[in-house]
Amino acid sequence: MTAPTTPPLVRMQSLHKSYGPAIQVLKGLDIEMQPGERLVVIGPSGGGKSTLLRVMMGLEKIDRGSITFGGKPYISSDGLDKKTNIDTEVRRSIGMVFQHYTLFPHLNVVENLILAPCKVRKERKSDATERAVGLLTRFGLAAKAKAYPAQLSGGQKQRVAIARALMLDPKLMLFDEVTSALDPELVAEVEQVILQLAAQKMPMMIVTHDMWFAKNIASRVIFCAGGVVVEDGPPEQVLGSPKEERTRDFIDRVFHIRQ
Amino acid sequence: MALDFSIILRFQDALLLGLWMTLKLTLICVILGCTLGFLVGLARTSRSVMLRAISSIYVEFFRGTPVLIQLFWIFFCLPLILGIELSNLASGVIALTLYMGAITSETFRASLKSVGPEQLDACIALGLPRRIQVINVILPQAVLRAIPTLLSNCVSLFKESALVSAVGMADLMFVGQNISNNTARPVEVLTIVALIYFVIAFPLTRAVSLIERRILAKLAI
Repeated sequence: MTAPTTPPLVRMQSLHKSYGPAIQVLKGLDIEMQPGERLVVIGPSGGGKSTLLRVMMGLEKIDRGSITFGGKPYISSDGLDKKTNIDTEVRRSIGMVFQHYTLFPHLNVVENLILAPCKVRKERKSDATERAVGLLTRFGLAAKAKAYPAQLSGGQKQRVAIARALMLDPKLMLFDEVTSALDPELVAEVEQVILQLAAQKMPMMIVTHDMWFAKNIASRVIFCAGGVVVEDGPPEQVLGSPKEERTRDFIDRVFHIRQ
Repeated sequence: MALDFSIILRFQDALLLGLWMTLKLTLICVILGCTLGFLVGLARTSRSVMLRAISSIYVEFFRGTPVLIQLFWIFFCLPLILGIELSNLASGVIALTLYMGAITSETFRASLKSVGPEQLDACIALGLPRRIQVINVILPQAVLRAIPTLLSNCVSLFKESALVSAVGMADLMFVGQNISNNTARPVEVLTIVALIYFVIAFPLTRAVSLIERRILAKLAI
């Protein structure tokens, strides 16, 4: 392979991860992601999708393998000792949104947004608040700036969670089943916000069960099952006419269930 | 014999002094005891086996023995061991602080455990350093969740503090007993003393449900 002029945004090499000897979740994953790509990861439950994102965020240790981010070493484990090296500076350029919102319940919406900028980047409170209000306005949440998370709908909470992650100007966003916990009528408002980010060329990795959303947002789709990448290609291929039989089975079943 | 509550008026000042002592003792021990309880609660959830063992023994011992015996022990035995004379107030404060520390540590332990692991995930994803995670995210949630139980703990302490009268501290109970002995009117005097305790404790127990309804419901934590 000739050396590319710009390094890939993310390069995962031979990621291995298990919970105890019996449960191997990642069995040597190799994924490369180019800048500007929107990678959607689909696959059956327990296939390692969420673990992949959690590893990428530095929330889980790995048994073996390495990840580079923007050409810089980010996460590595040689498999000899139990240690996973994570560069926390690199980690700061990645943002993540979770299935269950994980807003801080004791802080109001603006306080949720400005906590990290003020405490981590030492931004002035007034500056951070101004940026927060700007983001909230963009997401149609200006009226909720002083509300507490418990006073918001699921869709609103999730949009706040996205805004909170964006406050740190991430270079990559991870979305882990962010609409799975939502009532069906609230899914669209969250997906709209993510599509809006996509239009601004934000690189993202998305785990979702929503095939309509996957088709609309992905620049590339990966089908993950049994801890390995089974199929990897443009959305028309993986979602439309998959080459691998396991992908086809999964897609057929998912669409069948939805009808 | 007819009941005559008016005799109480003659001892108004003495009762007020006793009440002042009770309130002072309770307040000091609430502050010291809650601080101790929080630290012990942290120790009981710590990774160190040693810290967990020591803190568990302390908590189980003080929860499992009568406060009156703890009080006597500190009042009579501690000076022998330490070789120093302790004032009544000092013994009372030490005993009730240790008791309060033991019961509030359980309150804090439960509330610390109720802050879910996904809150920590969010902290890491936002790049918050450990110190900020504890001070700005975990501690406020743990304390808010603990408030109703802590208030109940305070009410218990306020009532249990009457035991210090047994070692001669001039608290409300002690003054009440004295008046009752001297006037031979235990029914009137002790009823009034009980009422004074109740009038102070009752709003606190009401406050517990108010806080649960207002603040905790609003934050859903």
